[in-house]
Amino acid sequence: MRLTKAILIRLLFGLLSLLFISFVIFVAQAFSKGDAATMIAGEKATPQQVQQLRHQMGLDRPWPVRYVEFVANAAHGEFGSSYYGTHEPVRDTLARTLPLTLNISILAILLSAAVGIGLGTLAAVFRNGFPDRSVLTLSTLGVTVPNFVLAPTLVYLVALKIHQVPVDWNPTDLASFGMFRSLLLPVLILAARPMALLTRLTRASMIDTLQQEFIRTAVAKGVPPLRLIFGHALRNAILPVITAIGTTFGILLTGSFIIETAFSIPGVGKTTIEAIQRGDTPVIQACVFVTGAMFIVLNTVVDLILPLLDPRIRESQI
Amino acid sequence: MRSKATKERGPRRKFDPLLVFGILFLVAIVLFAIFGPLVRSWMLRTPGQPLDSVYDPVGMPFLSAGGKYVLGTDDIGRDLMARLAAGARISLFVGFLVQIISLSVGVTVGVLGEFAPRWVAVPLMRLTDGMFAFPDILLAILIIGVIGPGLVPVIVALSITAWPSVARLVKTYVASLKDREYVIASKATGASTFYLVTRHVLPQLWNILLAVSMIEVAGTILAESSLSFLGIGVQAPTPSWGGMINAARGNLNSYPMLLFWPCIILSLTIFALNFVGDGLRAALDPKGQ
Repeated sequence: MRLTKAILIRLLFGLLSLLFISFVIFVAQAFSKGDAATMIAGEKATPQQVQQLRHQMGLDRPWPVRYVEFVANAAHGEFGSSYYGTHEPVRDTLARTLPLTLNISILAILLSAAVGIGLGTLAAVFRNGFPDRSVLTLSTLGVTVPNFVLAPTLVYLVALKIHQVPVDWNPTDLASFGMFRSLLLPVLILAARPMALLTRLTRASMIDTLQQEFIRTAVAKGVPPLRLIFGHALRNAILPVITAIGTTFGILLTGSFIIETAFSIPGVGKTTIEAIQRGDTPVIQACVFVTGAMFIVLNTVVDLILPLLDPRIRESQI
Repeated sequence: MRSKATKERGPRRKFDPLLVFGILFLVAIVLFAIFGPLVRSWMLRTPGQPLDSVYDPVGMPFLSAGGKYVLGTDDIGRDLMARLAAGARISLFVGFLVQIISLSVGVTVGVLGEFAPRWVAVPLMRLTDGMFAFPDILLAILIIGVIGPGLVPVIVALSITAWPSVARLVKTYVASLKDREYVIASKATGASTFYLVTRHVLPQLWNILLAVSMIEVAGTILAESSLSFLGIGVQAPTPSWGGMINAARGNLNSYPMLLFWPCIILSLTIFALNFVGDGLRAALDPKGQ
């Protein structure tokens, strides 16, 4: 019963965060250079025509009304149409770009979680030994070297000098083995920073757990080492790491802007940047909203998973 | 005092090579940023013709390093070293200006969050928490999407995204200092809240804020370079490290050095700031960790 309440509260909080983001995006619209009517009417329109269009589109209504309408439309995935080019509905733009970004982000988060937890555990078990030192050095590099430095450097070394993977994204690769090769570098570079952070966190959490008394008891009972590490220690140490997977997803989304630009991958990130350079407000709004929503949804899911893994949280209602 | 700290922390490191490297590199990069562009323009001047070696082509494109232009020239024949120095100027300027803004806002909000009446403190801290709902750079991208690309939008956007973490840190420290006996004693003798904060609480914070600032400046420089790399930050022809890295990708196969120089100098600056931050924290705050 308490758990249901806690879950409902967490869901409500997620919903409030989404509303906060939508509000910030709506307010941002008020400050942008021209409103939708000015942009759609074009440069040749007279002020009267713009005014008439504004009335037709309902832009002269009070802002709370427009905000409610904005949220209702956003909930249906309606963000209007692009100001430029073929005036493509933003919904179609998202349908085209979002799967690609999701694909890369999910691969990257899985990779960084798997490698991060693995290396972190390794480093903690061999604390101060050679594996620990090399893992720590690597993760320090991973945290500090920015991915827009890493991306072109690795492209130069791996793609141009060793000729192992293609330099640019090739859309025809999507359904074949080529996709794996095209995605290898982007996913690896995108995963680098979250991977390094998760490694450090797993290491710290494991070291902490390995010093606790129940581990000593388990050793005294004669639990075999592998079971001790994975069954007893890691199961306890992994909880803060799972929370962190949610927050590092923010870093990963940031990285996806850079990776998509660097590798010319037509995903949400690259679309956002191009929209900003054109001043295409509906596209910017939709992309920022969708990216922010992904972040909030993942963090909500992570918080909801935690009580399933940890009876202590389950009992003390989050 | 010192001997006690030594006992608690094990052997005290007298010499921290990373901290020393960091400080030396930062001094060097600041000097390079201030004087670099001037010196290059002066060295490369031609009689009777003013020359800005940052913006104007000075020779053939793609000259290799060595010779008159120390690091060679870029794709339209501009002096690479002068542009690196001017890029350092932009990055350091943005980094430290944003940090000053976010420190002022963050310290004010953090102190108000503990000392102000509830109707001020609670909404302020809720706003601070709300800012964390957005991944940082996403908010910055949204703000730039509204005002349009450029140097000023970058400073505005990064200042808005940077202050909440300072505010949260300050609030945590102020909360722990607020109930110390010397603060309570001072309050009992009739000191005003303003006096308490400025004389007894804030002076305790400068050390930790200085150390944290170094790491935050590194983050800001990184964010500025990311935005410039994406083409929505500092706009060409104004040189910035991120922009130079982006521009160099076009000729990556033939002229990789145009890419590597800004990459190296940017990475070293980030390393140095982090080293100095960590070193200062260890040196100034022995009780911490």
